[in-house]
Amino acid sequence: MPQIEFINVSKEYDPGKKVLDDVTFKVEPGEFMFVVGPSGAGKSTIIKLLTKEETPEVGDILFNGESILNILKESVPDLRRKIGVVFQDFRLLDSKTVFDNVAVALEVADSSLEEIRSIVPNVLNMVGLTEKMFKYPKQLSGGEKQKVAIARALAHEPDVILADEPTGMIDPDSVDDVLEVLEKINSLGTTILMATHDQEIVNAMKKRVLRIERGQVISDKKGGKYRA
Amino acid sequence: MSNVKKEKLLSVSNILIMTITFVLLGLLINIVVFSQTALRYLEDQAQVTVFFKDDFTEDKISAMKDGLSKDKRVSALVYVSKEDALRIFREINKDEPVLLESVSASILPASLEVRAGNISNLKPLAEELKVVDGVEEVRYFEDVVSRFKFWSTIVYIVGTLLVLIFLVVSYSVVIAALRTTINSKGVEFEIMKIVGASDDYVKLPLIHQGVFFGLFSSFIASVIMILLGVGVTLANIFPKGLGLGFLPGIFMPPWIFSIILTFILLLSGFLLGYLGSSAAIKKYLNY
Repeated sequence: MPQIEFINVSKEYDPGKKVLDDVTFKVEPGEFMFVVGPSGAGKSTIIKLLTKEETPEVGDILFNGESILNILKESVPDLRRKIGVVFQDFRLLDSKTVFDNVAVALEVADSSLEEIRSIVPNVLNMVGLTEKMFKYPKQLSGGEKQKVAIARALAHEPDVILADEPTGMIDPDSVDDVLEVLEKINSLGTTILMATHDQEIVNAMKKRVLRIERGQVISDKKGGKYRA
Repeated sequence: MSNVKKEKLLSVSNILIMTITFVLLGLLINIVVFSQTALRYLEDQAQVTVFFKDDFTEDKISAMKDGLSKDKRVSALVYVSKEDALRIFREINKDEPVLLESVSASILPASLEVRAGNISNLKPLAEELKVVDGVEEVRYFEDVVSRFKFWSTIVYIVGTLLVLIFLVVSYSVVIAALRTTINSKGVEFEIMKIVGASDDYVKLPLIHQGVFFGLFSSFIASVIMILLGVGVTLANIFPKGLGLGFLPGIFMPPWIFSIILTFILLLSGFLLGYLGSSAAIKKYLNY
């Protein structure tokens, strides 16, 4: 059973202007897939549809075989705990330490203090930030900030990580570090869906590439390449 | 100005405006209850006094009294003979012996005090009694009661309008204060939602903030109103107690009224804070 399935999905924010147009694809558990395309192609919309921030006008989206569209409002938080999201701008809280930024994900799920104290160091260890646990975001490099965001996304042990241009705001030297962390997480069984328009990264990683332009799927190739 | 400073300033102004609102609400309720109580006291004492001519004998007055006692509008009748009148006169003027020497029972008129169950019946009773044979004069204090009623109505209307205006202002200020909180914590709320916070997890602290504003302000207002109540009790302005709503003849101790008023103010504070914060969340957080 595919982990994620888009079935003839169309989405428009303004009437008559389709951001996604009849998009169909499947993602198997444990896959690493790039969603590529120019700005405004609809990459971020795919992520918003998966986290139910947005709803499509047409089509269906299945997650672990169940339609996301039928999920009740009260159950959306449960869905979001199974899908970790990483953003280009990190979305960290400057007033909280690295530890507390990751702990937020567990606090909102009413995890106990013991759970928080055990899970947070584990995920920070996984992304290689154990030593920076009590630093504040302002004391970190761009790459480190993104690793904190990845650690936060990992806190609930999600089935999938959605990464929306995760290397877009970090220095070139840190890009490899972040990608390495994502690959490591993927190797442990977590599905990764990464939206990017960075052809160097896509071509170097040799993963499945889903190319979207003007809201439509142009190509879908394993070990594919991307030329902007 | 930074969001934190703005938030603090708005919180203080919010509590101040809400406290003024609740003090006004408390004062309005006090004015209504005190004036109703005063009216009850006045009505209890409002009466028509019928003075008789000297040639109208006690038998005739007694017959008239019997007739009036069957009238449903009349609640009580007290006959004051010439001798009773002299006794009352002496009591009132006991410090003026010269005046007392010159007055005897024969020059004072006998009278009948007629009390009505309903104050509005005083005027027709007075009109009817004026034309009865043997009646010298009829007195009653219609003006005092009706003027009191008129002015207390004006005070109710103005007070209610003031309270309504302040309720609207307080409601808007609660929304403005929470809007600043929401703006300053916008990223935090967004992160919470994206990492799987339930709606309540995000909304409840804001609701608590609004309810805190309401309850804290109404608590301050309640303390002020309780102190006012203590003052009224110590001054013994209403020895029989305070009128219970608009029900005639029923009075309650001031401390019971203070408890009821505190409850009303705290409930209003809770509702204003809850409704204001709910509106702000709906408007600015899209819940």
